[in-house]
Parts: sequence; C-alpha cells; structure tokens
Amino acid sequence: MHTIRLAGGPAFGCAEGDTILRAGLREGLGLSYECNVGSCGVCKFELVEGAVEDLRPDAPGLSERDRRKGRRLACQSRPAGDCVIAMRQDEAVRPPVRPQRRTAVLETVRRLTHDLSEFTFRADGPADFLPGQYALIQLPGLAAPRAYSMANTPNGDGVWQFIVRRVPNGVGTAALFAMAAGERASLDAPYGQAYLRPSPRDVVCVAGGSGLAPMLSIARAFAEGPADGRGLTLYYGARTARDVCGEAELAALPGFGTRIRFVPAVSDPEDAGFAGRRGFIHEVMADDLGRRFERCDVYCAGPPPMTMALEDLLVREAGLPADRLRFDRFF
Amino acid sequence: MLYLCEVSDVAEGAAKRIDLPERPPLAVFHLPTGLFVTDDTCTHGLASLSEGEIDDGVVECPWHQGAFDIATGKPCGAPCTIPLRTHRVVVSDGKVFLEE
Repeated sequence: MHTIRLAGGPAFGCAEGDTILRAGLREGLGLSYECNVGSCGVCKFELVEGAVEDLRPDAPGLSERDRRKGRRLACQSRPAGDCVIAMRQDEAVRPPVRPQRRTAVLETVRRLTHDLSEFTFRADGPADFLPGQYALIQLPGLAAPRAYSMANTPNGDGVWQFIVRRVPNGVGTAALFAMAAGERASLDAPYGQAYLRPSPRDVVCVAGGSGLAPMLSIARAFAEGPADGRGLTLYYGARTARDVCGEAELAALPGFGTRIRFVPAVSDPEDAGFAGRRGFIHEVMADDLGRRFERCDVYCAGPPPMTMALEDLLVREAGLPADRLRFDRFF
Repeated sequence: MLYLCEVSDVAEGAAKRIDLPERPPLAVFHLPTGLFVTDDTCTHGLASLSEGEIDDGVVECPWHQGAFDIATGKPCGAPCTIPLRTHRVVVSDGKVFLEE
C-alpha cells in the first residue's frame, strides 16, 4: 500500500498494482476522469514528489505540450512508492458509488446481431452501479483492462450484463468472445459520469454499436421508474439493416410504444433492405425532435464520430448547455 | 460593431472575459501577433478559458488542460474535440470591437 497525497488536500491509500485514479475514486474522492483507459485526457495531474510507472506512454490523452509540462494521466499511473500529486478535485464528479474489484464468472453469452453479443457475468455481492456506467474488465491474457458499459440495471443478485461488438482483429473483444461459460474475469466497477440523473425533463438516448448497452440500462431504469408523464426515446444508428439492435429489449419494457420509443436509422445508402429512417443518427434525431431537444436530457454512447457530431450539433450549434448532453469520452 | 474593451485592459500574453447581455461570454486574448476574440467557455466543460494558461498562441483550459489554438479555435489537446468559436475583431483608436 502506497500513500498518495493531494497537494493541499487529503491523502489516500493506493494498493499494489492499482492506479492513482482508481485508488482515489475507491476512497470517494472527486477526481476528474471519463474513460479510465488513457484516451480522454481528463485525469491529468502533476507529480510533485515520488515516482510512478507510466502504463501507457503513448496515451492519446496527453499532447506533446502536456508531456513537456510534466503532466501525467492518473488512470495510467501506478505509484512506485508514496507520492505527492497536484490534481484538480471536483465535487461534481465525486463517485456516487465507490468502485470495487470483484471476481466475476461468465454465465451466458447471447447473440444479438451478426457482431453484437450480450455477456452475462455474476459476481459476489450486489451489482451496485448507476444506469449508464461502465466496468473495467481484466480478461485472461491481456495487459490492460477494457471498459464495457452495463446493459442491465443495478441489482442485488450480482448480475452484470454487457453488450460487446466483435471487432475484426480486436484483441480485447477476441479474448472476451473466446471465453466459455464458467470462466472468470476480474471486474472493477462502477465508473463513468454519463449515468441517468434525476430530472423533470424527457430523456433522449442516442446509441451506435455497443453503445446500445448503457443506453439500454438507462431505458430499463427509466421504465422501472414512475409513469410521471415523461418520455424516453432511444435513437439507434446502424450502418446497415442487419446492424439494427435493441427493439426486442425495449419492447419488453412496460410503457414501450407509449412513454418509451425506439427510432432506428440506417446510414448506408446502398442498403436497400430497410424500411425505416435513413441517415446519420444525429440528423435523424434532430429531424424527429425539432426544437424539443431543448427540453430534454440527452445521453449518448457510440463511435467517436457519432458522439462528436451530436456534441457539435446540440452544444455548439444549438446552444444546449454542456451538462445536458452526457457521455463518456473514449477518444 | 460591438465595443468589448480597451486594448490597455488586456496585457500582452493575457486574456479578459467579456460578459455582454443576451450572448455567451467572450474572451479577448492579447498575443504578440495581435488581439483575438473567442467564446470564453471551453467546449468540453463549463470552464472559463480567459482564466487559462496562454502559451505560444494556445490557451489551455484551467480545468483539464485541454487546449485550443487561439487564432483558429482548433482544438489541440485532449479532452477538447469541438472547435472553439472565434470572432472577427476590429481594433480602432485603442479600443477592441467585435465585428458583427
């Protein structure tokens, strides 16, 4: 156990092998972060005293200028001893549920589309998280954990469900798809800021690919809530008709067709086999909602170009306050 | 044209936030190459860029050190990915104006 002291702030313990970010979050500190895997660049800090091992020296979250100024990423820093760090604390990102490590057993794998599958794990203790959050799963044989969002809702049975897309040549997904029922993985959760918040507004979810998982979790939690006149629409962007996913899961929820809607769209103009809406999902959403988005909370998960297009459209062009569009930046 | 401030209000290498009614806050930057005006709010969070570190034509957000090229608004450091809106500026008689 190493002691990490925040300059001008509290100290916390960091277990052997843990990163500075995760150790601080386990203690309930409000350390800024989004992706946990070195990409977003939100968890920057400066090392004042001590030494750390850099787990990802080429992490895209640090620019040349950041490196020149001696900045590091807390999610990629494993302390080599006691350290003092300068890092911004933010009450707004104090973890509502403190992340913990558990051993999880793979129970079932269910195929959803030609490349999306649902993985159900079970671990000891309650599955304690907020809808929209993710877990870091350490798979056998891989150096670094992968981030996967939960698709189910928090439960006392220790059930953790994920939707993962089989990526051609993807090392992480290959390891997951190679797992057999009964095999074990290390599950560290929950993480992420893009979780469902209490609100008087309607909810809009925008998903693409395996980004369906956290949006389904949000929709499922919304369905469990009171029918208070608010609605939820899930927009799902697919390239072709065979990539469309999520309708069966939403249709199983109370209120589907009335307070819960599903709007899929296909972007590939060559794909003739789809009778629904056409185009990129952010455009379809804008067309469907008109100015109503101003009265909505928008959650989003999917490929970076989709998220960036949505952020550009809603926040930069239309002036939606940045905290009304929630997503975790994995880029 | 909309009056923003005096040139002398913004030291070279520094920035000043300008709040005008009915519009998002602006930041006036004084670089060796001239005066530049951008939106003041970072496109990643709700931080004020006029409070950020200015370095070689780049402003770093005080929250997560995301960065923008001041002259073009182009993001040049994570976590910023959306360009910052830039505005046309006119300097006349020691005063800084926004060209509308």
